[in-house]
Amino acid sequence: MSRFFTTGSDSESESSLSGEELVTKPVGGNYGKQPLLLSEDEEDTKRVVRSAKDKRFEELTNLIRTIRNAMKIRDVTKCLEEFELLGKAYGKAKSIVDKEGVPRFYIRILADLEDYLNELWEDKEGKKKMNKNNAKALSTLRQKIRKYNRDFESHITSYKQNPEQSADEDAEKNEEDSEGSSDEDEDEDGVSAATFLKKKSEAPSGESRKFLKKMDVRARDEDEDSEDSEDDEDWDTGSTSSDSDSEEEEGKQTALASRFLKKAPTTDEDKKAAEKKREDKAKKKHDRKSKRLDEEEEDNEGGEWERVRGGVPLVKEKPKMFAKGTEITHAVVIKKLNEILQARGKKGTDRAAQIELLQLLVQIAAENNLGEGVIVKIKFNIIASLYDYNPNLATYMKPEMWGKCLDCINELMDILFANPNIFVGENILEESENLHNADQPLRVRGCILTLVERMDEEFTKIMQNTDPHSQEYVEHLKDEAQVCAIIERVQRYLEEKGTTEEVCRIYLLRILHTYYKFDYKAHQRQLTPPEGSSKSEQDQAENEGEDSAVLMERLCKYIYAKDRTDRIRTCAILCHIYHHALHSRWYQARDLMLMSHLQDNIQHADPPVQILYNRTMVQLGICAFRQGLTKDAHNALLDIQSSGRAKELLGQGLLLRSLQERNQEQEKVERRRQVPFHLHINLELLECVYLVSAMLLEIPYMAAHESDARRRMISKQFHHQLRVGERQPLLGPPESMREHVVAASKAMKMGDWKTCHSFIINEKMNGKVWDLFPEADKVRTMLVRKIQEESLRTYLFTYSSVYDSISMETLSDMFELDLPTVHSIISKMIINEELMASLDQPTQTVVMHRTEPTAQQNLALQLAEKLGSLVENNERVFDHKQGTYGGYFRDQKDGYRKNEGYMRRGGYRQQQSQTAY
Amino acid sequence: MASRKEGTGSTATSSSSTAGAAGKGKGKGGSGDSAVKQVQIDGLVVLKIIKHYQEEGQGTEVVQGVLLGLVVEDRLEITNCFPFPQHTEDDADFDEVQYQMEMMRSLRHVNIDHLHVGWYQSTYYGSFVTRALLDSQFSYQHAIEESVVLIYDPIKTAQGSLSLKAYRLTPKLMEVCKEKDFSPEALKKANITFEYMFEEVPIVIKNSHLINVLMWELEKKSAVADKHELLSLASSNHLGKNLQLLMDRVDEMSQDIVKYNTYMRNTSKQQQQKHQQRRQQENMQRQSRGEPPLPEEDLSKLFKPPQPPARMDSLLIAGQINTYCQNIKEFTAQNLGKLFMAQALQEYNN
Repeated sequence: MSRFFTTGSDSESESSLSGEELVTKPVGGNYGKQPLLLSEDEEDTKRVVRSAKDKRFEELTNLIRTIRNAMKIRDVTKCLEEFELLGKAYGKAKSIVDKEGVPRFYIRILADLEDYLNELWEDKEGKKKMNKNNAKALSTLRQKIRKYNRDFESHITSYKQNPEQSADEDAEKNEEDSEGSSDEDEDEDGVSAATFLKKKSEAPSGESRKFLKKMDVRARDEDEDSEDSEDDEDWDTGSTSSDSDSEEEEGKQTALASRFLKKAPTTDEDKKAAEKKREDKAKKKHDRKSKRLDEEEEDNEGGEWERVRGGVPLVKEKPKMFAKGTEITHAVVIKKLNEILQARGKKGTDRAAQIELLQLLVQIAAENNLGEGVIVKIKFNIIASLYDYNPNLATYMKPEMWGKCLDCINELMDILFANPNIFVGENILEESENLHNADQPLRVRGCILTLVERMDEEFTKIMQNTDPHSQEYVEHLKDEAQVCAIIERVQRYLEEKGTTEEVCRIYLLRILHTYYKFDYKAHQRQLTPPEGSSKSEQDQAENEGEDSAVLMERLCKYIYAKDRTDRIRTCAILCHIYHHALHSRWYQARDLMLMSHLQDNIQHADPPVQILYNRTMVQLGICAFRQGLTKDAHNALLDIQSSGRAKELLGQGLLLRSLQERNQEQEKVERRRQVPFHLHINLELLECVYLVSAMLLEIPYMAAHESDARRRMISKQFHHQLRVGERQPLLGPPESMREHVVAASKAMKMGDWKTCHSFIINEKMNGKVWDLFPEADKVRTMLVRKIQEESLRTYLFTYSSVYDSISMETLSDMFELDLPTVHSIISKMIINEELMASLDQPTQTVVMHRTEPTAQQNLALQLAEKLGSLVENNERVFDHKQGTYGGYFRDQKDGYRKNEGYMRRGGYRQQQSQTAY
Repeated sequence: MASRKEGTGSTATSSSSTAGAAGKGKGKGGSGDSAVKQVQIDGLVVLKIIKHYQEEGQGTEVVQGVLLGLVVEDRLEITNCFPFPQHTEDDADFDEVQYQMEMMRSLRHVNIDHLHVGWYQSTYYGSFVTRALLDSQFSYQHAIEESVVLIYDPIKTAQGSLSLKAYRLTPKLMEVCKEKDFSPEALKKANITFEYMFEEVPIVIKNSHLINVLMWELEKKSAVADKHELLSLASSNHLGKNLQLLMDRVDEMSQDIVKYNTYMRNTSKQQQQKHQQRRQQENMQRQSRGEPPLPEEDLSKLFKPPQPPARMDSLLIAGQINTYCQNIKEFTAQNLGKLFMAQALQEYNN
């Protein structure tokens, strides 16, 4: 044995290296010494690895091609470089060459190159013309090739004699070729080829076989880690060097077993030591393992290896989870389970393997009818380890894991539903678990709710990490139904068994999966009166279960009543509002928002809740807009839009601008907060709604306060857009949504509602924005009406100064509004003191009064205001001078001092009246 | 024609303006004894200044020039002037001082008064109380004690009443400027308010007898065509402009005050902090009696007192506001007078 190790492993381990890198010199030496030992393996020669050969040869041909190109352009330097590379590549390909024979193309290039170089060398004039580098390279290359070609003399001469020889003959030449290769090796050793040629005539076949074998092994292990495969080679080649087939087989077995060992030592001593060590290790592990397994180990040496690696995922090992014949009892299974679980979280444990083992355990448990308790217990653990599979929070589950997880939870639920006598709970201690005693109710530690919550998180994570525009996303999204179904099942389960707290949590989960979905069916039902709808439709609707509105109502009310944690209630309220808003129940949504007082204290909530709040506010705004309540819409959207960070605030993406401001950690956290794509609110729609409502408010306001220098902007963002529009040097037809709104605003400023209308509602805008609403047509009609009204107001504001009186009929014609509407709008304006006019009832005209202040009066008013603020500021300075602890130090809690300050203020006022200011 | 008309106007109004100025001059005369009690301007100088503005100044642009003359007792007689050339970008390296010297030398050669006694400047709606004016007038007065600055308001003049005023810095302000310390404390110590920054020196426009005779004769010959403009209230534009400028200044003033306010608050806050720290230290010392007291200077060094804002700007703004107010008052008074006159005429006609 030891002999085999010395010879075989030594030479082979290095030759394995040679396969990777270069033919190292000692190898050649060994070939000379050891060939006879290997000769017996000849029967295996048939095995051929085509792919390796092709690969090597392709490399060679590529190099040859470059050399030929270089020859054509007389670039000798290049030739030299490539020749050296070629030599190396040939070395690498040696193993193949050994058995295939020296390829003809290789011989050809050698011969051609030599001829070519000789030709160049003879060409004295050409040589003179060459540049220095080339000339130098030429001489070097000539020497090298001469030396190199000496090894291939016979081939070259035969090639030269018969350059047309077909490639088929190569096969016949096998023997010769391999000779050549060995010659080369010897030559590298500094020994002349001729002397060794005879001596080794029978050896090469063995040699080649050896290489072959190695290649074979490599091919087999291709998909293993490189390190592992190296180990394998060591083991395998070790076995090849031994003559007996049986031993080889055993070796293979060991190789498999030791696949996960550290790199095997090469020397004999090391090897032995390692073996011993391993045995020791194994012993230690034995001790830890149950004694039952020990027995088996002892009588089976091969088994020992497997036993040692108990925690390692080898498919082969699976059936050997328990020794054959051992009675599978609860205790045994639980013990095993605990054993597996102990490895959990430790550094070296393979998580995938753990999962497999656990699944196996379930099978075993099921096969042996160990009762549902055990199965439930194991299932819990499987799911937990599935969640554990990813080492950090950022990465998401792989689809297959996810699928497994869903299935597992479903199975678990099946069991739980089927066996109402199983109690599951976090609060059940390990000791008090009852897994098999059928008399008493089964008690299992574990929390189905946590699992489901975690599942939901994982689902969100998967959605976050999938490209939303890919088919993959759609595929993942299909799982949502499954997720919802599971949540529903858990909900049903917990409604029976869970505590109110748990029910609240699962309800929230349910709500979170419901609130953002538009209930088309309920919507349809609303639109068609009940008596009009056919019987079948109604049936269908009934089959679909309750309306999402009813569902939301029920779930949320339960939470409002029962929840004690503030967070769940807040979320529930927000979702409820969102759902109301989504279904255009504006007043309910608004009342809920106002009654909850969320606006006051939302800044204390954690970011995800804040994001939810923002989403709700936005949805509320959009809802108000749909109802034609522009002012409410504007107010709701103002906060989000004015910051210019709507994207970030809604959790729909990170802003690039602030990317450099935050560090990696923050970015990760923020990324985790992102809302999955299917929950996104269309930002363009949002902006458009905001801008249009701002336009409807701002344009009449601007017209009304044209001359007023201290008018305030209602919407800064809208003004910004207007300014951007004005800055454009050349005004083309509007392209983007913003440009449309700006163009519409300009038209509206002139009271031209028709143009305004055509800018706001057209093909482009329909496609971009309006069609996104569930009731697009209703919204559009509302919008037209609004535009007409506001245009009328703007018109009156702008042009009232040029009219002495105007007939309402004319106005109604102009703006295509009916008379009463015009009447009411004008009346409202008069009452609000926006329009200085009166209505003349008999003639149906508006008579304007001129009470506008003159420019000077306006200026004087402004001046007065400014002076007021000046005086105020001045008083403040005076307060400072008067009392250091004056009334402006509100942080001063001292009542006495405050009082004093107040007194001083009083005094100061008297003083002020005295000093003639 | 135009110049003659203005000439007549100037003689007509100069008496009134001098009367008004004299009253003020008396009031302020007591506060500081300046070297010059009266300014006597030659008609030639007035015409030259007006001409200068008409040729070179437009809109808000300001023209400046040098006054030449001599001091007789407490009377400054300005007998000649010459303009500063307008600056353009292509002759940035133009040397003004060189130009002035050259000019004065040339004038001496032709035996004209060549003593530098001040400078003149046109103004846009009376907005002349600026830092630049203060600085240059200070340097003038610092070098030549009796120098004055003549402010010429072309817009008012164009409306028919020549507006030409002579100003000097009060001795108090001179001292403050010399110190170059505009901190609130320094100004408080110097007891300077906006009213006592500039003193107006009464102006007398004096012509030679020969010219006076010529004037009388011309007046007789010229047909007075624009007498009906007497009751025109065409100053509303002017009033609006003034209001607007006044408003701007008020804004500036507000800002200045806010700045000062924050400064005050900062200082008082810091003082409080210091107090607290001192108190803490004292407590510490009391607790561990017998130990050497900690040095208190370190703490005061740690906290730099905030930079007090320069108060000169606010003084100037206040002065400017004062001028505007006076302008407005003048205009409104005139207009009111006209209105009453018109009313009276109406009643008389009826």
